[in-house]
Amino acid sequence: MIQLKTLLNCIDNSGASVVECVNVLKKKRPATIGDRIVVVVQKQRAAGSEGSGTALANKVRRGDIRHAVVVRVKKELQRKDGSVVRFGDNACVLVNKAGDPIGTRMNGVVGQELRDKQWSKILSLAPVHV
Amino acid sequence: MAALPTMRPLGCLRTLFRAQDAFQPQMSRRFISTAYSKRPERVPLPPNLPQQFLSQLPVRMQPQNASKPVKVYPAPPSTSKACKDPVAKITESQLAVLDPKGERKALFDYRRNTRSVKPGDIVRVTFKNGDPFNGVVLSIKLRGIDTSFLVRNELTRVGVEMSIKVFSPNVQSVEIVQRAERKPRRARLYYMRSRKHDRRSVENLVASYVRQKRAFLGGKRQQ
Repeated sequence: MIQLKTLLNCIDNSGASVVECVNVLKKKRPATIGDRIVVVVQKQRAAGSEGSGTALANKVRRGDIRHAVVVRVKKELQRKDGSVVRFGDNACVLVNKAGDPIGTRMNGVVGQELRDKQWSKILSLAPVHV
Repeated sequence: MAALPTMRPLGCLRTLFRAQDAFQPQMSRRFISTAYSKRPERVPLPPNLPQQFLSQLPVRMQPQNASKPVKVYPAPPSTSKACKDPVAKITESQLAVLDPKGERKALFDYRRNTRSVKPGDIVRVTFKNGDPFNGVVLSIKLRGIDTSFLVRNELTRVGVEMSIKVFSPNVQSVEIVQRAERKPRRARLYYMRSRKHDRRSVENLVASYVRQKRAFLGGKRQQ
C-alpha cells in the first residue's frame, strides 16, 4: 500500500536511504511489489559509510525526484498458489527513466513478484528473493 | 329593525333556525326514504347466452376477454435435500485427491495429534518450485481444505512472514527443525512480531539441521 507521502527505505547503493512516494505510475491504486513510483529523496546515506563509498559517492541527493520500483511491502500480498507474503518494511530501488537501477548493489530481500513484472535487472542484483 | 342584526350578528341566525324547525319533520321523512341499502349482489351471466346478445355486454365481460386460469408450476426439487452439506463433501473429495494418506492432515492437526507441528516450532518448508522457506510457526489455521500455517523468519534483517496452504500441491515437505522450548500459552503467537519477543533469524539453526540431516542420511535418498 504505497501511496502519496509513504516513506520507503531505499535498499540500493544509489545514496538515498529514505524516500517519499509522490506518485504511483500506471495505476489508480496504491502501489505494491513490482510497481513503479515517483519518489523524492528525503534522507541521504552518509557518503563513504559503505566500503566503496568514494568512487560512487551518492548518485542522488536530498530533494531529488526519481523513479523507483517497490520491492517489499508491509501489506500482505497473495500469490497465485494461495500463499500470502508479508514483509517487515516498505522498500524500493531507484531506477532511471529507462528502468535500469541507479545503484549497483542491493542489500536486502526482495519479493518474487518482480519476476512477473519483468524487473530481472533488480532481481539479479538482489541477494535473496522470497 | 335594520340596526338590530348588525349589533347582534347571530340574532338573525336564530330566526333562521326557528324557520328550519318548521321544515324538520318533512326533511327527515325524505331522508329515511333514501336510507342505506345493501349493494345488490352481482348476478352471474346466464349460461348459454345466445350469441347475438354478447355484443351488448361490456367488453371486459365478453367471454373471449375473461380472465384465464393462472398456471401453477410445482416447486423445483430442493437442492438442500439432494446434498445436505456440500462444503463438507467437496472438502472430503479434495482431501482424497491432495492428501490420500492423511499424513499432511495429521501433521497439522495440532489439537489432536501430539506429534504434529505446533505454534512456536521452527519448520522448514520445501516447495516443488522455488527455494525452501524456514521460520517459526506463528499460527495454524485449521479450515478443512484451506488449512494454512503462518511462518515467520528474518532475512537480511527484514522480517518476512509467509502464510502457506498445507494441502497446496506446490508444498513438497514440511520438516520440524526444532520444537518450541516450552509449550506456548497461546494458540496464535502474534506477539512474536514485537521486537521484544521476536526470534529473529532462524537461518543458522536450519542450516545446521540440514547439515546434520545430510550427514545422518549419508548417500541415501531423502525422505
